[in-house]
Amino acid sequence: MDLQYSDADRAFRERARSWLATAVPREPRPAHGAAAAQFDRDWQRKQYEHGWAGVAWPKEFGGLGLTGLQQVIWYEELARARAPHYINTTYIALMHAGPTLIARGTEEQKAFHLPKILSGEALWCQGFSEPNAGSDLASLKTRGRVEGDAIFVNGSKMWTTDAKYADYQELLIRTDPASERHKGLTWLIGDMKAPGIDIKPIRTMLQDEHVNLVFYDEVRIPLADVVGEVNKGWSTALSTLSFERGLGFIGDQLDLYERVCRAIDLAGKVRLETGKLAIEDDGIAQKLASLKADALAIRSMTLAHITESDRTGDPGPKGSLMKLIVTATHKGLSETVGEMLGWDFLEFDGDRSTHPWTYDYLWSWVFTISGGTSEIQREITADRLLELPRAR
Amino acid sequence: MFLAPDGDEVAIASAAAEFLADAMPIDRLHGADGGDMGAPLRQSLGEMGWFALALPENQGGSGLSAVEHVLFFREVGRQCGPVDVLAQSLAAMVATDDTMRAAILSGEAGVALAVNDGAGLRLLGSPDATYALHVSREQARLLSITDIVAPARPALDPATSMRVAEGAAQAPVAETTGEHVWRMGELGAAAMLVGIAEAALDLIVDYAKVRETFGRKIGAYQAVRHPCADMALRAEAARCQLWYAAAAIKEERGDAAVHLDAAKHLANQAAIANADTNIQLHGGIGVTDEHHAHLMLKHALVLGKLFGSKRTLLGRLVNSKVED
Repeated sequence: MDLQYSDADRAFRERARSWLATAVPREPRPAHGAAAAQFDRDWQRKQYEHGWAGVAWPKEFGGLGLTGLQQVIWYEELARARAPHYINTTYIALMHAGPTLIARGTEEQKAFHLPKILSGEALWCQGFSEPNAGSDLASLKTRGRVEGDAIFVNGSKMWTTDAKYADYQELLIRTDPASERHKGLTWLIGDMKAPGIDIKPIRTMLQDEHVNLVFYDEVRIPLADVVGEVNKGWSTALSTLSFERGLGFIGDQLDLYERVCRAIDLAGKVRLETGKLAIEDDGIAQKLASLKADALAIRSMTLAHITESDRTGDPGPKGSLMKLIVTATHKGLSETVGEMLGWDFLEFDGDRSTHPWTYDYLWSWVFTISGGTSEIQREITADRLLELPRAR
Repeated sequence: MFLAPDGDEVAIASAAAEFLADAMPIDRLHGADGGDMGAPLRQSLGEMGWFALALPENQGGSGLSAVEHVLFFREVGRQCGPVDVLAQSLAAMVATDDTMRAAILSGEAGVALAVNDGAGLRLLGSPDATYALHVSREQARLLSITDIVAPARPALDPATSMRVAEGAAQAPVAETTGEHVWRMGELGAAAMLVGIAEAALDLIVDYAKVRETFGRKIGAYQAVRHPCADMALRAEAARCQLWYAAAAIKEERGDAAVHLDAAKHLANQAAIANADTNIQLHGGIGVTDEHHAHLMLKHALVLGKLFGSKRTLLGRLVNSKVED
């Protein structure tokens, strides 16, 4: 057990820090829409062009071929430099689709898609959930009919984040009409410009339209775009989900600590209705200190998991614990700041840059629901980590 | 950077687990003799060198680090080991006289832990102790208690006898200044609490796999599964932070104290909440005297007050910052 970074780790951190010091965009990210997507593409392209994209991706696919720990260092430095938050329109491409293709894609798929993902040229969205298949993903009903060298897709997907700006989609559908549950599914690369796709935005409590309903009417997808095998898509989907849970929060660990410190600074400036500074209130001070301890633990958990998985090559079943603690801490922080800010907290125009704490408060439910609700993460923990008897 | 027990560390942890399960099993707390350490147990721990783990070699110790220290005390915690074990290890760091140190290391002389209680001192540990160790962040003092009057108090925790000393405090027989002993105490207590948090989780997970209600194993009900997952998360967070704190102290990092305070706070929370949930999920059997569940809760309550309680730890954490 040791905290010593190797010479290579330290050199990597130094180089990252000095590049980010000048490279991070100065202007705030637009709150929504096409402008936000363009901002994300530009920032990703800049990282790619300067040789910082895909830190732990294999070199042959345009990555840097470095370790999981160096990937953590990169995200730490992004947070330190106050770079644009990594959960943006590039997230699905970089955190899900790319790792899934690396693990399960054909050589042609990897050669075509991975450079586009790393360079920000291609944005992806996720087509897993449906109106009647969310937590119970395996009950999904969107159908694919295999005909000749293509699959024709009919049905609908829901909660598809940034569908309007995505170029491609990870699409999980039922290709064996007689199948049930996990069997008979296929994981496809869907081209979002294909004819027959209709996108209807869903307005959320954040006063934005980042999620969508997507309808498919005889959408033709070549068989060459199947990832894994036809009717064996559940196994590919599990890879996607394990990347989401294993790596999905890698960037939050230092970011959360920095945000707790910012909240503590804020508590030294704002006054409560009692006239006291927020930080002089025992209840608030204790909550903030406890959140700081949680943020430190999240960093320790990340380092413990990543150093172990670097050694064993297996991310293991602890990603669900990570998602539970990150999302709960995120929510707790928003609630505590909300208590401090009084009426200011109740002003909101939908823009994260002008109302960051209120925005993050509303976003905290997106966090605890999307990518598998907290309840599902507890189920996964009970099944795979604790090996309790199954009810399902 | 490797934040998990590795190589020899794993070997020491399993040797400790094996020894303690035999010499100091939690079952002992159900027996007529109660939970005090007593001379035979103290001497067998001493013989095996467990009190000397983190003591420098030139003082008769094994010269190991804060990391081995937490690995050992986590196993002590899993058996609800008495606080005497910690007091004994820390006292060896305070003793200045070779004979006195040797008597402590061998277990020949017992050491209780002395904590402030109002204007006086409360003694935690075996009534046959020769010394009491009082530790603050500034200094650690070893007091002779053979001649003091200290009537026993009824103890909630069967693993921790309590006495309250009467009369003025005596001059210490040995003392050291600085924060080292406190930090090793805070780490040791945090490690014992992590051990309790893990042991409570193990108990309920085992039970949930065999106990049936309404025709199903209780582990198949979400009302049981979800609190178990929360217990696993609390244990995991506290354990990872404990590893970080131990390594930070071993490497003498400038921000080690911040990580240590966070580790102790998370361990306090995890042990008490997991012990609580373990009783609840066991149902009626969980409140019986013959079950281990209440022992874990009661011991966690004692350890939660030692070397940093919730209020003092949070008060320190709010203003502290980590480096890099």
